[in-house]
Amino acid sequence: MKKLARQIIEKNRLVIVLFTLITLFLGFFLRDLKINPDILSYFPKNDPDVQLFNYLGEEYGGNSLAMIVLENEEIFTTETFALIDELTTRLQLEPGVAYVTSLTNTLDIKTDEYGFEIGRLVDTANLPRDPEALAILKEYTLGKEMYRNNLVTEDATATLIICRLQTNSDQVATCRRLQEIVAEVAPAMKIYYGGIPFMILDLHNMITDDLKILIPMVSLVIIFFLYLGFRKWEGVFLPLLAVAISLIWTLGVMSLLKIPLSIISNVIPVVLFAVGNAYTIHVLSRFNEARIARTNDGLATALYEVTTPVSLAGITTIAGFISFIFGSYLVMIQEFGIFAALGVLFTLFISLTLIPALLALKREEPGRKDKAQRKTENTGITGRIIPGIEKLVTKRPKTIVWVGIFLAILALTGIPRISRRINLIEYFQPQAGIRQAEAILEEKFGGSGIIQVLAEGDIQDPAVLREMEKMEEFLLAQDGVNNSQSIVNLLKELNHAMGEGKVLPDTKDKVMNVWFLLEGEEVMTQLVNAGRTEAVIQARVAGSLEAERTHELVTAINEYIAGVDPELVKFSQTGMPVIYRNLDRSILRSQFQSLIFAVFLVFIIMLFLLGSLAGGLLGLIPILFTLALIFGFMGYAGIPLDIATVLVASVTIGIGIDYSIHFLSRYRQELAEARAQNLPLETAVRATLNTTGRAILINVFTVAFGFLVLIFSQLLPIQRFGVLVFVTMLASGFSAIILLPAVLLSSGARFHLRPVACRKAGIKKVK
Amino acid sequence: MKKPLFYFGLLLILPGLLFPAAAAGALTAGEIMERVDQTVSAPRDQEMHVKLVITDAKGNESHREMVMMQKGSDRRMVKFTAPPEQRGIAFLSLPGGMTYLYLPAYRQTRRIASHVRNQKFAGTDFTYEDMEARKYSADWEAKLLAEEDGLYRLELTPKEGTVSDYGRLIVEVKAGIFFPVKIEFFDKANRPRKVMVQDKLEQINGYWIAREAEMRDLQAGTSSKMFFTEVKFDSGLADEIFTERYLAR
Repeated sequence: MKKLARQIIEKNRLVIVLFTLITLFLGFFLRDLKINPDILSYFPKNDPDVQLFNYLGEEYGGNSLAMIVLENEEIFTTETFALIDELTTRLQLEPGVAYVTSLTNTLDIKTDEYGFEIGRLVDTANLPRDPEALAILKEYTLGKEMYRNNLVTEDATATLIICRLQTNSDQVATCRRLQEIVAEVAPAMKIYYGGIPFMILDLHNMITDDLKILIPMVSLVIIFFLYLGFRKWEGVFLPLLAVAISLIWTLGVMSLLKIPLSIISNVIPVVLFAVGNAYTIHVLSRFNEARIARTNDGLATALYEVTTPVSLAGITTIAGFISFIFGSYLVMIQEFGIFAALGVLFTLFISLTLIPALLALKREEPGRKDKAQRKTENTGITGRIIPGIEKLVTKRPKTIVWVGIFLAILALTGIPRISRRINLIEYFQPQAGIRQAEAILEEKFGGSGIIQVLAEGDIQDPAVLREMEKMEEFLLAQDGVNNSQSIVNLLKELNHAMGEGKVLPDTKDKVMNVWFLLEGEEVMTQLVNAGRTEAVIQARVAGSLEAERTHELVTAINEYIAGVDPELVKFSQTGMPVIYRNLDRSILRSQFQSLIFAVFLVFIIMLFLLGSLAGGLLGLIPILFTLALIFGFMGYAGIPLDIATVLVASVTIGIGIDYSIHFLSRYRQELAEARAQNLPLETAVRATLNTTGRAILINVFTVAFGFLVLIFSQLLPIQRFGVLVFVTMLASGFSAIILLPAVLLSSGARFHLRPVACRKAGIKKVK
Repeated sequence: MKKPLFYFGLLLILPGLLFPAAAAGALTAGEIMERVDQTVSAPRDQEMHVKLVITDAKGNESHREMVMMQKGSDRRMVKFTAPPEQRGIAFLSLPGGMTYLYLPAYRQTRRIASHVRNQKFAGTDFTYEDMEARKYSADWEAKLLAEEDGLYRLELTPKEGTVSDYGRLIVEVKAGIFFPVKIEFFDKANRPRKVMVQDKLEQINGYWIAREAEMRDLQAGTSSKMFFTEVKFDSGLADEIFTERYLAR
């Protein structure tokens, strides 16, 4: 290791050239980096519910319903119908659109005393023109359940056009073109775009905007705090350089591996900026320490000595991110974990190689640095805060401990108040256009979500069809479920047309006879398979269903299914409620698993680092306190668990533990010195606070405010993530420099930490 | 322009040699299409078995068989004979757009109507419009694109006032017998929509017929093929075949 350090210092120019080349190479691939905002594509392929969902999507279409609402004073006019017809035709022609359903092309079965007609609601080549014909059409259309509040509202002021998008197509591009077509054909109409494809389009735009805004903002915040902390441009420029290069590497590798950015990995740049600067700062500080001579030998020693503590800090952070790889339901969370960890690893690597190589370019006399360093320590924000903390901790350690315990217990009472948000629509800000569209879709057309029940059996058997009919009735009786669609209704209409009433045909022969009339109808491919052994019941579900209600709905349907004779027909459900339920469960499970993993890891690291059980337990105190605060804050501030906030606990453990590590390591060194001079514990605490305590404080502010930039994201989960990390970074930082020393002082000898001479400690003084 | 259903023969069965090849010297596009149209109403009656093979986009095939009888150009009876679940289902088309449907399981006859031209006939890729007895020369503007290898290649665009689901047709007509062997259908955005090919031309009782006709839907990826057997022309089909009573038999 020491040899390697020497090599880096001696061959610094080679290192610099090498890094430049790698950065140029990976940077070249950046332009190919894609964004995939489609949350559906991140569901795990091995979940049977997801498999069924995908199967139904591929075989029957309809997982991706792009919904377009047209509002007009009156839908039943010749002009509006002509417009709907033109839109239907144009949208249908669009590549990526599998099928369009609208008032002008939906299959309609008209029955009168003379006979019946299988066709469309209107003859689009010969639209009704006089008011009387339009009034008849209106009465007829609104009288049919399959249209009323499904394709047109009861008050005839809004109509719905549903585009089923092809599963394996670029839905973002398709949605953009759909909007262009609608804007061109119906420029004067009030239009709303809803459904998952349009949500994904909006997410795509938001991710792009976020990247453009958040990266410069986080850079500014970091520059501000670094300058405040160090008052030296070197201390600002080099950490930023290390982060920028590692960001290029990380995104370049993602691009090379064809892994697109998701709504979660979108925050990787901010994470790296906020977290990664610390490693370079440690290296810088070490190099600038007065006693190190700026010779090759001196620099190599400095690099060698700083490698272990900096690596440890990095490894705990990496471990925090890695904890998401296990037990995450969404593939995008795993991807975030992997690439955030990789990014941290790159930053760490660059801080320990390129940065020393750059520093070795510039040799300085040691004396000058010393002065500058001292000056820094007495100024800045830390200069005002640390003495206060020092006074508080040494005067009232017991009070602090009791207040800490009280706060933790208070926070724990907030846990039951934590809500969960899993719904895609809740990623958008309340004023977002898509939320209005979804509200209108829900209010007028029963929602944009879908619930699907697959029936397996002899679909032409009247007994099977009756079970399907009952299932549909059951679904529609559920709160929040509307507008079901299946073969049952069509067969009933045709049975009615044959003069036997609006009920299912009573023999299989009759079913097969009327079935013949439906052959080749496009709608059939959405309802039954070619072998007539499978049929799909599809219903719309309110998009804003609460997590609890989603669980209830899924359970109710499953219980109903359990009561059906599987010999006759086998039902299975999928759709957004099931997927959301699984996501919700997985978020809880994933929270639990990654927490256990992270806490365990912290304990192990502290155990080895401090060489005692007491050390391990001590290290846990600030972390457990912070965790209690995180969840209490979430409960009382109304921040829900969602796909982003679920990450906070592990991220903050990974980052926050560094503070305890730094503090305790330094404390042991100071303890050794204090013991040698027969001074009380308090002296060691004071000394630690005044050295490492300051460094911790600067880092806390940098990281916390770096993450706080995320409140400017357009995505609500990312905003909440930012706020939560902000709060918890402050909590873990301050608990390391207030609560931890208070515990040390008030417990006296109980937490026995062996004092360690400076050089032997794994962690060296790093400020 | 409402026409009765199921004018099978119109595109498929065309009497040849009634109009000798000698006339084909320097015909205009319009004249060629007139010749094609003239052949349509030539047989007094016709009867044939039709085998239908329908292939969906995933390659699944389904088979159907039917007997078709036609008298003049506006009376037609179609009875399905296979598969068993469809046996006995029958359609009767009469002048004036009257169509009757008989479903054996119900023992009921019902009048049916359709005003939707682009709706598929009996699950095939042939739409009602494709099956209509339309006079091409009357409704479509024809342009002769080429004449080679004994084929006229014509482009047809709808005349003012013609209602069609298609924006343009490219028709290949076999010179001499004025038999259309291929029609390419383009949608209104001028994208290829469907292709029909008539194959295995044969002469029966002095009339030309294609033994096979295939329609492929280029956008949906489906296709339908018809095979014609036991073809009889001018066999003197009785008027009582084309009545509601006969539907149930």
